[in-house]
Parts: sequence; C-alpha cells; structure tokens
Amino acid sequence: MKCRVCKDTAVVDLPRHHAAFCAAHLEQLCRRQVTKAIEDFSMITPQERVLVAVSGGKDSLALWDILIELGYQAEGLYIGLGIGEYSDASAEHTRRFATDRSLTLHEVSLRDTYGYDVPTAAAATRRVPCSSCGLSKRHLFNTEAMARGFDIVATGHNLDDEAAVLFGNTLRWDLDYLARQVPVLPARPGFPRRIKPLIRLTERETAAWCIVRGIDYLVEECPMAQGNRHLGYKNALNEVEATSPGTKASFYLGFLERMAPELADRHSEAQEHLGSCSSCGAPTTGEVCAFCRLVSTASAHDPVPVELVRRPRRKRRR
Amino acid sequence: MIVQLRNPRRELVLEGTRRVNALLDELGLNREAHLVICNGTLITGDVVIDADATVEIRPVISGGS
Repeated sequence: MKCRVCKDTAVVDLPRHHAAFCAAHLEQLCRRQVTKAIEDFSMITPQERVLVAVSGGKDSLALWDILIELGYQAEGLYIGLGIGEYSDASAEHTRRFATDRSLTLHEVSLRDTYGYDVPTAAAATRRVPCSSCGLSKRHLFNTEAMARGFDIVATGHNLDDEAAVLFGNTLRWDLDYLARQVPVLPARPGFPRRIKPLIRLTERETAAWCIVRGIDYLVEECPMAQGNRHLGYKNALNEVEATSPGTKASFYLGFLERMAPELADRHSEAQEHLGSCSSCGAPTTGEVCAFCRLVSTASAHDPVPVELVRRPRRKRRR
Repeated sequence: MIVQLRNPRRELVLEGTRRVNALLDELGLNREAHLVICNGTLITGDVVIDADATVEIRPVISGGS
C-alpha cells in the first residue's frame, strides 16, 4: 500500500480513513486529530500547565509526547500501584521515557504514601482490582495536580476506551454516567480541569504513533485487568469495526455531538450536591470521601501478593 | 516464518509465505486490535511476509478504563 499523502510505502493501513500512511504522515494525522480535539473542546491554552497521568503504556506516553510536540507545558505523574512485576516494569518504561527526553516526572507510591497497594485493596474490599485502582488514580491525579499548581490533568483515554465505556453505559441506560462522559470536565473547587485529548485516536493509532516515534512502551497487559468487562466491550466493538470501519468513531463522536448536549443539565445538577471530605477536604457527596474510606480499609489489611487476586486468564483461540 | 505473539509471549513457526491480513485471519486475530512489525518496522495488511522472516504481532488493546 502507498501513503495517501506522499505515495511512499505505507507503514499502517487505517480502514476507518479509507487510507494508508507512511510514518511521517501518520504522525501528521495524529497531531491533527489531537489538535482538533483540543480546539473543539477548548481543552488547553498555551499558558496553562498540564499534568499528564502516565502509566508506561502506549496511550499515556503517546499523549505526553504529542502534547510536548504541540508546544504545551506538560509534566508527568506516575502512580506506583504495587501490582508486582507489572508495576516495576511500568515504572521503568515511564522513567526511561522522561529521562530520554529531559521531561519532568512526578511519582507517588500507594504503598509508601498510603500504606496499601492495589492487590491488597482488592482483597480488603472484596471488589475487583480495577475498582480500587481507578478510585485511587482519579483521586490522586486531582489532589496531586492541585497541590503542585497544575491547571489541568490530561489522561490518555482514547477512542476505543470512550466507545467501550459509552457502550457499557448505554447497555445499562445509566444516564448519570452518560452525562459525565464528556472529554472535558471543567475545573471547580477541589478539582483541576480534566481533559482527554486522545478521543479522536484509536488504540491502534496511538500504538502506531509510539512505534514510529521509537517510544518503548509497556506492551504487556495489566495482569489484574484480564477478562474485565471493559475488554469484552472493546472486543465486541472491534468485531463490528472489522466489517463496518468507522463505527467506533461515529458511535462516540456522534454521542458527543448529538446526545451529550441533551444530558448537560443532568451533569450540572449532580455537581451542585458536593460537600468536602471531613478527612482530606476533597469534594465528596458523603462525610468521608471514597478514597479516604479505601485507605482506611486497605491500609489495615495485611499485604496481599498480586498472584492471589489475579483474574483467571481466558482461553485463547491459539 | 517465526511469528511472535504477546500476552502471553509465545512463538509460532509457520511454513511458507503469508499476506499480513491472511496471517491475522488464520490466527483468529482482529485486524483492528493488532499491529504487525517486521524488522522493527510496521507493515500494512497487503504485505507478503517471507517464509524465513520473523514478525511480531502486537496487540494494541489495553484493559484500563
């Protein structure tokens, strides 16, 4: 195949664009898509400082790389989740990326700072690991950004992530979650602005960006995420995408254009009922926020190795 | 050809040549969920892989939300 732009040998074919691209024009496509997302949703101004939530995976490192490429003031925040060798490897990839590019990386360890890790939290709460992992990351990205004087937290959620979440929320007709599924959550007391600049790029495109840019990201999946519902939704959408290229984009971007505005009032009403956590001061609907309750429960539990709470691997076809 | 797969890491040895898309179909792998790398370079679905080549099929789907 030839590159649609320059007719040189292509390195990646993107059926949803009915085109293939060489490395240079794949980079151009990705930069344009991120720029369009940032501009369409007024995500960042050049004067603002952005804290990028980084994990060592393809999406977060691609996001950090693209924001720097586009000239934004972006620093990274890595949270050590304590998921055994997986976390050790993800920290290594993240640190190497930052060091090689002379970028500033901030780090927080759940075990060292809060006395627990994700496997222990999963055992202590008897809930799936992704629950305490997501709760911890959301809370710490907010509080660390506020404490360090950042205006914005940027996360590497891509088109596949958002389409899968939308699919799940729609299957349940969960209107509160649907109302919140927007690429920008405005700043308010206790919260920086939260943005998702990769919503116009698929996972395949962010992975291709990393490969052509020489970014050594962590390819292995989180051992605790295997078999989760979110992955099932992604697989289902990719089955549809294989026969109808562009379905994921029209599903999610069509939602943003035509459905999200209808739900905007519902989102605003939910935000009006927040108080402050009596323990940490973070915004919450209860007296004590969910993160402080998690810390209390998980830090009192004996440490649990990752192998004891790992999900069973599903059978593969080959 | 030698085909390197991930999650978990493993290798397959296949006889003869294959087009990239035919290889993915043969292994039951969704094209939207994988990239194929040969000699450190991404290759498109129409490329014919040599019988003595080593290729990596890299999954691109991650589990977080």
